[in-house]
Amino acid sequence: MVSTVTNSDVKQKDVDQAVVVAVTFAAVFGPEAEDGSTVYRLGVALPLLQVLQRVNERLLEKNPAEHQLFDVILITTDSWQQQQNSSIINSTRHHGLEISRFCFSTEDNYIESLVQNNVQLFFTTDGNEALQATHQGVPSALLDKNSVSCPSEQLRVLFCEKAIIQPNMGSTEASKKSAQNFLAHLGQMRQKFGVFDSPLCFTLVTSHGGKDSCCCALKSLRSLGVSVDEAYCLGGAPRGPILSLLRPHFLLSDGFSLLEG
Amino acid sequence: MSEIKPKEKTATKDNEEEKDWEAAKAFFDNLKTKVPRPPKPQYAVTIAVSSRTLFNMVAERKIFEDEGVEKYVAFQVEHENDPLTTGPAFPFVKALMNVNTRLRNLYPDSEELFDIVLMTNNHAQVGVRLINSINHYGLTIERFCMTGGKSPIGYLKAYMTNLYLSTTPEKVTEAIEAGIAAATMFTPKQESDLSDTQLRVAFDGDAVLFSDESEIIVKKHGLDTFFEHEKQFENKPLAQGPLKCFLEALGKLQRKFYAKNERLNCPIRTFLVTARSAASSGARVLKTLRSWGLEIDEALFLAGAPKGPLLQKIRPHIFFDDQMFHIEGANELGTISAHVPYGIGQKYNKGKLIEEPKKKE
Repeated sequence: MVSTVTNSDVKQKDVDQAVVVAVTFAAVFGPEAEDGSTVYRLGVALPLLQVLQRVNERLLEKNPAEHQLFDVILITTDSWQQQQNSSIINSTRHHGLEISRFCFSTEDNYIESLVQNNVQLFFTTDGNEALQATHQGVPSALLDKNSVSCPSEQLRVLFCEKAIIQPNMGSTEASKKSAQNFLAHLGQMRQKFGVFDSPLCFTLVTSHGGKDSCCCALKSLRSLGVSVDEAYCLGGAPRGPILSLLRPHFLLSDGFSLLEG
Repeated sequence: MSEIKPKEKTATKDNEEEKDWEAAKAFFDNLKTKVPRPPKPQYAVTIAVSSRTLFNMVAERKIFEDEGVEKYVAFQVEHENDPLTTGPAFPFVKALMNVNTRLRNLYPDSEELFDIVLMTNNHAQVGVRLINSINHYGLTIERFCMTGGKSPIGYLKAYMTNLYLSTTPEKVTEAIEAGIAAATMFTPKQESDLSDTQLRVAFDGDAVLFSDESEIIVKKHGLDTFFEHEKQFENKPLAQGPLKCFLEALGKLQRKFYAKNERLNCPIRTFLVTARSAASSGARVLKTLRSWGLEIDEALFLAGAPKGPLLQKIRPHIFFDDQMFHIEGANELGTISAHVPYGIGQKYNKGKLIEEPKKKE
């Protein structure tokens, strides 16, 4: 049974216009959360939560009546977590996190929960959860220890092309549509700021193709409403050094195989 | 100064990098239009050029300065299907491509080639016009960085750059301080006819190939002391300058032609154009080059005569010097010049110490 609880400390967002983002318990509170304490320490999602809050602040500065904001919900994905509901609520309020709702679900019904809450992007530290959610039409992104060193003033989104030589990960029609929808929203948010000093930054990295693949990807994203800020065409050069300079908060790749050709 | 290419890597990194490399190789091999694929970065001589060295963006720059960045980006996007005209590094890039063609003929499986990377601060939307222009001229540039305003220095290192050319002195200085060979390019005042079969590169000696240790002596103690000093230390090699590694990289590629009996027909030729005189201070320079195992094809000792007229005869695709006085002289007579902002020469203009204006905080 899924229960949804509102966080009374946080002003609720307009459900129709907000961009709903779900983050798992394990990402928000990290592995030390299970040591029996009632106030959990923060996990790898902290910079992401901070930066989403920052984007909202900047959007409201531009327009105090803005409704197209990020709406962050915390979701549990197994029964043990589901039972920690009061500690979770306490810890969230203790840290002053801008999480508007909690979805207490289990491994069997969390995806249904995501769908019901109109979640447009699902953040998890678990690769399987990400895969399953994507297949069911909810674009997902993985967080890990690298996420900790991301900036908190600017949300950096990295688009990478799907490589030609890779087993087909099989994105469904549903996931393509929801991905495009999400991109359109992100693009609209970005448009509200100028070329420089934006709290959102879109970066494209093409690893394997040449300049023309990269150019195609730029135009493709443009047609979906996303105006890319930075572009790096590697043509087979090692991507590690570049990624460590870019420090993206998350990568969007496989759910967006629409970038191909 | 930096090694030609750093080699430290872990095993897992190597594995991922190999996969990336193999995937790119397959991509290019499968293309219908056979475009030469970019070489493996750790074996290539990587030359990073900025957008304003490759193309003429003077009018667009004016829009940026007068009307701001938003109007500038909008203008570029509006005109993205209009190819830009060429900039000062364009002949150099064409010459590099020609050398690559010759190398690929002789060594079809080698990754030791020139790799040209576009390294620009421009916004990615402006990039579409740049890519279209690259295609218009048929340039083989498959790698690029459009940093959307951020400093390119970190990316220069990530792409294992051997030489960086830009029109912005601050970026060039930053690169040199980070140990990367770099120079600020200037557009010559006249056109000149450059070879399209041979890459010709001219270097000044002190504070370019060599350190500025001797120049310090000239500026502080005068020419006579300089001559005595150079005679006395004739057999002590000078320390390296910022462009030594680039000369070394050129030499490595030259030897590949010599190995195939192509010395007389070598498509790379290097020149040393120095104000030193052969009699009194030239020996030390030649002995230093020899001690480094480097060859230079022609060494021209001017004994203080102006460099402009001589360079006009040489007609290099690029000429590196640390003193603006020589750059301007070369420029006047049609030589494509590149300033290397290194060493004590930066504090002087035509032999006089420049009064530094108080720096704004």
